[in-house]
Amino acid sequence: MGEILEIRNLTKKYPGVLALDKVSFSLNTGEVHALVGENGAGKSTLIKILAGVVKPDAGEIIIEGESVVFSHPLESLQKGIAVTYQDLNLFPNLSIAENIGLSQQIETGKLFINWKNIIQKARDVVNELGVELDVNQKLGYLSIANQQLVAIARAMIHDAKILILDEPTASLAKKDVENLFKAINVLKKKGIAIIFVSHKLDEIFEISDRISVLRNGKYMGTYAVEDVTKEELISYMVGRKVHYKKYEAREAGEVLLEVRNISKRGNYKNISFNLHKGEVLGITGLVGSGRTEVAQTIFGNNLPESGEILLEGKKVDLTSTSKALEYGIGYVPENRQTEGLVLDKSLETNISVTILEELIGKVKTIDKKKTRKTVKKWIEVMGINPPYPEMDVGQFSGGNQQKAVIAKWLARNPKLLIVDEPTSGIDVGAKSEIHSLLRELANDGMGIIVVSSEIPEILAICDRILVMRRGRIVCELKGNEYTQKEILNKAMGVGK
Amino acid sequence: MKKYKHLFIVFIAIFILLSLLSPSRFLSLNNLQTMLAQVPEFGIITLGMMIVILTGGINLSITSASAFSGIMAASFLVKYGHSDFNIFLIILATVIIAILAAIFTGVLNGTIIAYIGVTPIIVTLGTKILLEGICIRFTKGGGISNYPEEFFYLGSGTIFGIPVPFVIFALIVIFLYILLEKTSWGTKVYFIGSNETAANFSGINVRKIKMQVYIISSILSAAAAIIMMSRYNSVKANLGSSYLLQSIAASVLGGTNIAGGKGSVFGTVIAIGIIQIISSGLNILNVNRFITDSIMGLILIVVLLINSFQNNHQLSSLFSFRKKVGS
Amino acid sequence: MGSIFKKKEANIILVMIVLSILISLRSEAYFSVENFIDIFKSNTVLAILSMGMLMAIITGGIDVSIAATTVAVTVITGKLMVNFDMNIVTVIITAAVCGIILGAINGFFISKFRIPPIVVTLGTLSIYRGLTLFFTNGRWITNIPLWFQDFGDIKPLGLPIQLYFLLGVALLSHIILNYTILGRGIYAIGGNPEATNRVGFKKERIELFIYSYIGFVSGIAAVVHSSIVKMVDPGALSGFEMEVVAAVVLGGANILGGEGSVGGALLGVLMLGIINNGLILARIPTYWQQIIVGFIILAAVSFDVLQRKRIERSMLKIDVE
Repeated sequence: MGEILEIRNLTKKYPGVLALDKVSFSLNTGEVHALVGENGAGKSTLIKILAGVVKPDAGEIIIEGESVVFSHPLESLQKGIAVTYQDLNLFPNLSIAENIGLSQQIETGKLFINWKNIIQKARDVVNELGVELDVNQKLGYLSIANQQLVAIARAMIHDAKILILDEPTASLAKKDVENLFKAINVLKKKGIAIIFVSHKLDEIFEISDRISVLRNGKYMGTYAVEDVTKEELISYMVGRKVHYKKYEAREAGEVLLEVRNISKRGNYKNISFNLHKGEVLGITGLVGSGRTEVAQTIFGNNLPESGEILLEGKKVDLTSTSKALEYGIGYVPENRQTEGLVLDKSLETNISVTILEELIGKVKTIDKKKTRKTVKKWIEVMGINPPYPEMDVGQFSGGNQQKAVIAKWLARNPKLLIVDEPTSGIDVGAKSEIHSLLRELANDGMGIIVVSSEIPEILAICDRILVMRRGRIVCELKGNEYTQKEILNKAMGVGK
Repeated sequence: MKKYKHLFIVFIAIFILLSLLSPSRFLSLNNLQTMLAQVPEFGIITLGMMIVILTGGINLSITSASAFSGIMAASFLVKYGHSDFNIFLIILATVIIAILAAIFTGVLNGTIIAYIGVTPIIVTLGTKILLEGICIRFTKGGGISNYPEEFFYLGSGTIFGIPVPFVIFALIVIFLYILLEKTSWGTKVYFIGSNETAANFSGINVRKIKMQVYIISSILSAAAAIIMMSRYNSVKANLGSSYLLQSIAASVLGGTNIAGGKGSVFGTVIAIGIIQIISSGLNILNVNRFITDSIMGLILIVVLLINSFQNNHQLSSLFSFRKKVGS
Repeated sequence: MGSIFKKKEANIILVMIVLSILISLRSEAYFSVENFIDIFKSNTVLAILSMGMLMAIITGGIDVSIAATTVAVTVITGKLMVNFDMNIVTVIITAAVCGIILGAINGFFISKFRIPPIVVTLGTLSIYRGLTLFFTNGRWITNIPLWFQDFGDIKPLGLPIQLYFLLGVALLSHIILNYTILGRGIYAIGGNPEATNRVGFKKERIELFIYSYIGFVSGIAAVVHSSIVKMVDPGALSGFEMEVVAAVVLGGANILGGEGSVGGALLGVLMLGIINNGLILARIPTYWQQIIVGFIILAAVSFDVLQRKRIERSMLKIDVE
């Protein structure tokens, strides 16, 4: 087994964040090399650099002894690097065979498509991967798992030497994972090097040869799978965090929200929990654990099939987001750019949208002065910078955008605020500001649910934590009786 | 105001140009009055189109809905207009019937678009064809005419020298301006047009508002129908059908983004004005009326090209910004 | 589940069978070879244009200038035929070239400047129609040469010549869509526009091709139209573009892009033809045609969306243990 890829001192800086800090590692032919680390550890930045999507600030990528620089994703592909993202770049309306072989046909520059060839090749590859798929079937009707296999097959047809799988098993069922692993083993035997990014430790131990750990953008080491235990690995990933101040859990107030045994197929099952006034409740779990689905149910955007939800002891009918708003529930969605804000509208419009009815003046029209005053107040409270209400919200930085989403809900003064990944992709300063703010709001009596995959964050601000795994609550942790490692264990299904 | 500054300058420039080219005729009271009388029917339909485009939709059934409302109203008016009932109550009832018919078509579109989730262009194409059939069913391919004398006031009367249709149009413009740009409802419409998902996650009842938008669009088309009925003393199944594509063109010319979220009532009104003075002006200058159509099409494309350059500029600056932030 | 595409076409056929049975109950003349040939012949222009519109719709676009382009070409070729010594081959070539130029203008603005197809073609619709009416002053061209009039009545193998044009265009479209790399690119744009360039397609070029092809198809339709009506009316086919869109959508194409087939579009045309023809034969007032077609469109697309939502819902998001 020879070395096919070497990375030396790769560094990438974003404003306020050092995403990669002199990361080095190497990859051998025919090995499965797992890349692990918490959210924000730098895995996705590393992948993006290898895929040619992002340019590094410093450092070197060496493929088969040759130093390379990618300025476009196609260049990376030409060097034999294939990446399957969560978004697979596939065409749902084309057949499996086409999705696998079309780009190769385009390269021939011919007029006609060679159906025989494309189907035969696709069949061969699919067979080689050991999966049973009718290659003439339309891709759109395949499960995510099989679509992933198609993406892998496409990489094979391009004679990829390095295949990067980014969280391929995040939303897969057990038997699909087995199929995927079968395919990975086939690739391995062909001498293809695989970088496997995952949070699921059992799977990593099952499939990988070596594991490299990233933490806060730093390379923490590479371990042969037989030389390391899961517990050790988690402690390498977690390390010591200093930048979060831990809050003391407090006595809870009266019950604000009661979720009674809600279930929905393909989403979650038998979810029950309470939230008290003045409490910060964390919901954590891996991608695909059902945490966001539960959160959206409480915000009226995902009607459960059974069970009921009570707010202040009364049953509520959460059939739409506008009803949730009327009940006094707010929701800061996961993706502020596509879900949280309307980027081409001003900061003022975005913040005031939840309270339009309160801003109506004498003649049923919106009172401009009152709006400006209210918005200015929230800009100040949240410390949004620059403090320009007329500026399009799309022009603010990530942290300020997130503050704007929170501001728009605080303006409404909700009884219950749900925040989904409140600090993803924003700098440390803004992060801790948002954390203090959430705590303060709870102190003032608001009930807060924090949905996050970042366990240190959950630990830092929550009074109580629900850990979800595969659509169920696997445990509820109270007080200070838990550590980051224990929670990660539960979320990943490691240990008892 | 600066949003439609360019457009307003174009309007003034064309107005001055035409005035200079043919001062005696273009600036004559007669011509000005004719223009004011002609603008409303097209203008109201365009506003009905524009409000739908603001949500990211389109309403191909707008002129058929207009004809449908007109035919329902006319059927009633012809039957009872010459009876002994109080004529003003009859006219009032006629207007109410037109509005009820409009609500029917608006609810039909709104239900399928907002609640079932079908693309507006296809739904409204379907309702267009359906309504045309129903219209022919009632008119038997001909027209419904012979309205009572008093009814013509709505289309041909004047108030202080201003044509009544124009007064109606002006009232509608003011109403829509306030509704869209000054009320919470309007803000929500713009929000939905820019980003429906984000609007939903802001607790806006997206479906209800879209439904209301299609109803308002239909009601506007009914208002245009009443004016046209009164002006022409007849309704046919193809009432106003030539305004369909023109109204989309005028909306876009007025700065309405065809993808939704952007556009203003006054911008649209200026575009309507531009189209009106060009067609009147070219008519006065004895320019072939068909060439006028071509010029309108050309103006539309040129304006879009300018918009496209501006947008591309904005887009590129947005991207470079994002790269900087790295999110 | 993989064959919903074919299922859609089967649904169209089912609706047509039901309609046919209903019509034949009231008209004995309906089920005859002559009648069906007649249905086809009177709808060849619609069918030919639907082949072009289909491609635009598959990419998620639309071309509302299609009828105006066709009429413009009928006028150009009509004038040339009257004033110059031409034969059928030169007429067809001129028609095709003129159509391609007019279509390429659309394609240029759509692909280069990223202006939405509906708006561009709306603009060119006015331009083309205005110019056509201007140059003819709205007057009909009635002195079409006899040789061309006779050409329209040829019936090789007993079938009207117009059907051969349709067959040619349909076959060509089918081959482009299914057997060329370009054709798969057309589907790819409709399925995942962001990813088309990433797998190596050239989206701009494909779009330019599509709208030029629509122009080509309009040119052919122009020849066929003139050969049927045997004169040129510069004001003809007004609003016909919507009928073309309706036929293509009835034929199972998804207006949002990605889906649609030549067979389906032809079935859509046939359905419109059958409803029209059948109602006439059954002596049912023709306005019922529109009422029925409008209703079918609304019902079909609603049903389609509801079904799609159900499938989406049933697709597993999270494997709940």
